[in-house]
Amino acid sequence: MDLLSLSFLCFLAVLTVIYFLVPKRMQWQVLLIGSLFFYICSGIRNLLFVLITASSTYLAANRIDRIAADQKAFVSAHRKDMDRAQRNAAKERFQKKRRLLLVLTLVLNFGLLCVFKYLHFVVAQINALLTGFGSGAAIDNTWKLIVPLGISFYTFQTMGYLVDVYWKKVPAEKNFAKTLLFVSFFPQMTQGPISDFSELSQELFTEHSFTYHHFSWCVQRMFWGFFKKMALANVLSIYVNDVFANYGKYTGLTTLLGAFFYSMQIYADFSGYMDIVCGFCEILGIRLAENFERPYFSKSIAEYWRRWHSTLGRWFKTYIYYPVAMAKWNQKLGRTAKDRFGKEFGRALPASIALVVVWLTTGLWHGATWAYIAWGGVNGLFIIFSLWMEPVYAGWIRKLKINEKSTAWRAFQVIRTYILVTFIKVLPEVGTLSQGFGLWNRIFTNHEIPTTLRAWIPQAHKSYVQLAVCCGGILLILITDLIQRKQPIRQWLENHTNRAARMALFAVMFFVTIYIGYPLISKAGGFMYAEF
Amino acid sequence: MDELLEILEDINPDVDYTKEKHLIDHKVLDSFSIVSLVSQISETFDIEIGPQYLVPENFNSAEAMWKMIQKLEEED
Repeated sequence: MDLLSLSFLCFLAVLTVIYFLVPKRMQWQVLLIGSLFFYICSGIRNLLFVLITASSTYLAANRIDRIAADQKAFVSAHRKDMDRAQRNAAKERFQKKRRLLLVLTLVLNFGLLCVFKYLHFVVAQINALLTGFGSGAAIDNTWKLIVPLGISFYTFQTMGYLVDVYWKKVPAEKNFAKTLLFVSFFPQMTQGPISDFSELSQELFTEHSFTYHHFSWCVQRMFWGFFKKMALANVLSIYVNDVFANYGKYTGLTTLLGAFFYSMQIYADFSGYMDIVCGFCEILGIRLAENFERPYFSKSIAEYWRRWHSTLGRWFKTYIYYPVAMAKWNQKLGRTAKDRFGKEFGRALPASIALVVVWLTTGLWHGATWAYIAWGGVNGLFIIFSLWMEPVYAGWIRKLKINEKSTAWRAFQVIRTYILVTFIKVLPEVGTLSQGFGLWNRIFTNHEIPTTLRAWIPQAHKSYVQLAVCCGGILLILITDLIQRKQPIRQWLENHTNRAARMALFAVMFFVTIYIGYPLISKAGGFMYAEF
Repeated sequence: MDELLEILEDINPDVDYTKEKHLIDHKVLDSFSIVSLVSQISETFDIEIGPQYLVPENFNSAEAMWKMIQKLEEED
C-alpha cells in the first residue's frame, strides 16, 4: 500500500474511526489488526519476516528475563554459603546463558537483514577478488532478492529492545501480541522512526481520547508533510535527477546548485514523511520519537547528526558507540595512550575508535555500496577530526578574540556546516563512488559562469511555475524551521494569523500539491528513505 | 564525592557541578565527555559501568553520578 495513495488515506480514516469507537482498552488491538492488514496488503511474504523477528525476539527476551530472575533467586538463596568469588562465578554462569541467547537471536535477525541487503555486495567483492587474482571462476550473482518491507528499520528497533532486556533496562514484554505490535506498528515501518521500547510501549498501550482541536492540529501536520513531499521534493527531483545524471554537461556552479537542491529535496522528502506519520499517530494520541530538529541550522557535523534522523543516531550511540568506546580493550588502549602521548590523546582515542565503527556501519546501513561506505567514512573523519582539533580551535578562538555567542559567528558555523553536509550527502547519491567524486571534481574544476536561467537550472525552461514552487517551498521550509526554534509552527499560526488567513494559506498549498506536485508522483518515485 | 568533583572539573572546569542539574539535557556533557568521564570514574572507584548505565538520569548531575557509583559499589 503506497503511502501517497488514496487507498492509504482511506485506510487511515477507517482505522481512526474504529480506533475511537471500540472500548479504549482494545485500541492497541485495533492497531495490531491494522498493522497486520497493512502487511498483508504489501505482500504476505513481508508478514512472514515480521513474524520471524517478533517470535524470535519474544521468546529470547522472555527467556533472558527468566534466567536473570533465576540468577537473582539463586544468589539470594545461597548468599550465606558462598564467598564473593563463588557468587561471581555463579553469576557468570547465568550471564553466559543470557549472552548466548542474545547473540543467537542477534545473529538470526541481523543475519536475515544481511542476506537480503548485503549478499549481492559480498558476492560482487569476492568475484572482483577472484578476477583480480586471475581466476576465471566467478560466483553467480545474477539472482535477485527482494528486500522485505521495512526490515532495516524493524530489525534495528527490535534488536535494540532485546539488548535493553539483556541490560535489564526494560522488562521483557509477556504478551506476544503486544510484542508483535511493537515490531510491526505500520506507520513507522517503512522509514522509522526507530523507537525505544520503553517510549513506544507507553504510547501504544495507553488509552487515548479524541479531541477536535488536537485532531485539526494533527491534520495540519500531515498536510504539511504531503506538501513537502509532493510539492517540493517531487519538483526538486526533476532538476536534481537531471544534474546528477548529466553533470558532465553542466557548469560547476549549476552542479553545485543541483547539490544544494538535493539537500533540500531529501530534507523535504524524509521530514515530509515524518510529518505525515507523526501527524497521523498524534491523531490517535500516540507520540512517536521525532527524527528532525531543524538539522540545517546545526553548528557542527556532530550536532547535525544529532538533529538529522536522530532515532538512527541514538540507536548507533546506544548500541554501538558506547559499547565499543567502553569496551575493556578500548579503555585499556586509552590509558596506555594517555601515559605515552598525554591526557588529550588518551581521552580522544577510545571515542575515535568507536566513531570509526559507528560511521562505517552507518554507511553500510544506508546501502551496500562502496559509495555509502565512503560516505560514512567521510562523516566519521570530519567528526573525529573536530574532536582531535577541539583544543586547537579553542586556542585560535581565544587568539582571534572571537565572541562565540555572536550572531555572525553562529551564522558562519551554520553555513559552513550546511555546505560540508551537502558535499558529503551527494557523494553516494550520484551512482558509483567514482561518479560521486566526478561530481565533486566538476564543482571545483569547472569555473564557467552560466549566462542563462536554463544553464543555471536545467529543465527550468519547461516550467517556470515549478521553478517558482521550488524556490518558494525552500524559503517556506527555512522560515518554518526558524519559527520552530521558539514554538511549534501550528501554535505560531494560531497566535499570529486569523482563521481566514490560515484557510487561504492551506488552500494555496493544497492547490500547489494537487496540481503541481501530484502529477509528478510517477516520475519522482516514492519516499527516498524507503530505499534504505 | 570530592574525587568525583575533581574528575568532573578536569573534564570541564567552567561548570559549577554542585548546582548544575541538567548536565546532559543542557548539553554540558556530550557523548565524548561521557566516555572519558566513565573511564576515569571506573578507574578511580574500581567499578564497572556497563552501557546500560549510560542514561541521562545517571549523568545529569554530580549527585546522580554519585548515587550510581554507590549503587555499583554495593552491587559489587
